[in-house]
Amino acid sequence: MEPAMGMGLVALMGAAATVAGCSEDLESDIGSQSNPNSQVQLAAQVGYPHRIFNKAISGEPPSNAMYCAVGAGVAMVLIQSVNASPLLAIAIGAFVAALLNGVFSTTAYMGRNASQTRFNQYVYLDVLRNQLLSLMGHAYITTFCIVGLSYVMWHHDLIGHPFPFPVIAMIWGLAVGAIGSSTGDVHYGAEREFQDFKFGAGLNAADSGNITRFAEAGIRSSMDNAWFCSKFGGPVTGIAFGMTVFLDNWRSTAFSGWTAVVVGSAIVLALIIYNRQIETYARKKYGPYPEYAGDIEA
Amino acid sequence: MSEPAETANQVDAKGIVVGLVGIYIAGISGIPYLAFLAGIGAIFATKMGADAVRRVCSYGIGTGVPSIGMLALGMGIIAAMFGLAIGKMYKAVFIGPIVGLVLALVIGFVVGSLTNKVIKLNIPVMERCLTEIAGAGVLVLTGFSVMVAGSMDFTVIVEKVITTGYIAPIFILGALGILHPFNASLGPDETQDRTLVHAYSCGAIAMVIGGVCSIAVIDPIAGIISIVIGLAIWYATFMGFVRLVKRDAGAGYVGTGLLPPGAM
Repeated sequence: MEPAMGMGLVALMGAAATVAGCSEDLESDIGSQSNPNSQVQLAAQVGYPHRIFNKAISGEPPSNAMYCAVGAGVAMVLIQSVNASPLLAIAIGAFVAALLNGVFSTTAYMGRNASQTRFNQYVYLDVLRNQLLSLMGHAYITTFCIVGLSYVMWHHDLIGHPFPFPVIAMIWGLAVGAIGSSTGDVHYGAEREFQDFKFGAGLNAADSGNITRFAEAGIRSSMDNAWFCSKFGGPVTGIAFGMTVFLDNWRSTAFSGWTAVVVGSAIVLALIIYNRQIETYARKKYGPYPEYAGDIEA
Repeated sequence: MSEPAETANQVDAKGIVVGLVGIYIAGISGIPYLAFLAGIGAIFATKMGADAVRRVCSYGIGTGVPSIGMLALGMGIIAAMFGLAIGKMYKAVFIGPIVGLVLALVIGFVVGSLTNKVIKLNIPVMERCLTEIAGAGVLVLTGFSVMVAGSMDFTVIVEKVITTGYIAPIFILGALGILHPFNASLGPDETQDRTLVHAYSCGAIAMVIGGVCSIAVIDPIAGIISIVIGLAIWYATFMGFVRLVKRDAGAGYVGTGLLPPGAM
């Protein structure tokens, strides 16, 4: 393959991954999956029944791996058995995956809330209806992008990865779930829920569950959380996942053999040093909690 | 956690017997139109796994519920492939699923003992539940693999299910079928019948997707039979789940409304 073509494919995959990362994070924020889920699950038990969507479909990595594996499996059946065009096949596969997202989200919301009846937690059908299509829409975008980039990676005329198509999609699904869970969800789970706390204040146990109650105006809903997270958490997940896909494929396309390994190690090392610098900068700038008078290094 | 309507022994007996019978009829008959029976066996095995997850995780293993489901299929896939490979090695295809099941039960028991004795989790039902979960994992994987491939022959399964990559959706849907029913019902008012009817519906979803995969692998009609039967089981059990949610939520099952009185 020509180098220009190879770099073009790598850029395309990076772009698809950026969109996938962003939509994956917003999908999990609407459903309060993973990081913030423990607070949402806990809220009713500490006396704060709520109207937040409780979407507990395992962790994000397995659930996204499921959507992507199913999307790729259905797409591959269509490509192999009826010779469908890949783009159409991927679109149909992503649609089937979005339907599964809808079913699993419904059962998770209904099941979890019905299991907390004694804490006065209601099953609100309007909460279910309002959020469900947003969840499915975001899951569709994620699956479409991931299955698309997996197809580019798998097809023998393009990148030509030796793994089967659905397995590549499953691995990228696990990756996007893991990155969404560790990058973007922190913005919801830590920032959105505790934004009125001072830096370094910690979380008093008595404040648990408060987070489900009030938004900028009125009772907080899952849409408010998506609105908040779409400003930073979603895009930052997209950049993180896009960079992962782009840099990994770039080093193996532009270089080969041991040079690619050395370049990969250099990238990882540079990112570790950069991250550490940002962390120490933030701690120094925003400082320890004002009332804290200890001498432990912040 | 309420009193169980079905005891662990009943659930296990149904899971193992229906699971194995389904796999054997589908695998030995050689008729592709009977492949769906392996899927039905796998649905009962899913229920057996979900019940075991329910019992072990009610000891407060909150975030461990998804992990235990993935562990089940992790133990299951090794044992399933080993069993089928042994069947091929000794030229006796029919011993494959049994060997796989026995190996999985042994692996599960060892992992359970390690968890309790070495890591000292000290959960009384750990050994038994991990043994059941591993058994469920192997039956789910073998069942859906046989349904997709229409055969119990190791070579056919490797060629049509593993090399093509259809193992990926089967693996992950099988794992979610075992872990999702209890995970989605986590809470003090969880009831066994609701969790188990949900397990049937998750198993049926895996059967439908397995049916879609088998369209490309064995025969379009055999695939469509699996899809239609899977969809029928899914619809019936999903509606059953919603009915039980209404029963358990009682007056809390509302169309819309403000937060309950006294909650503000």
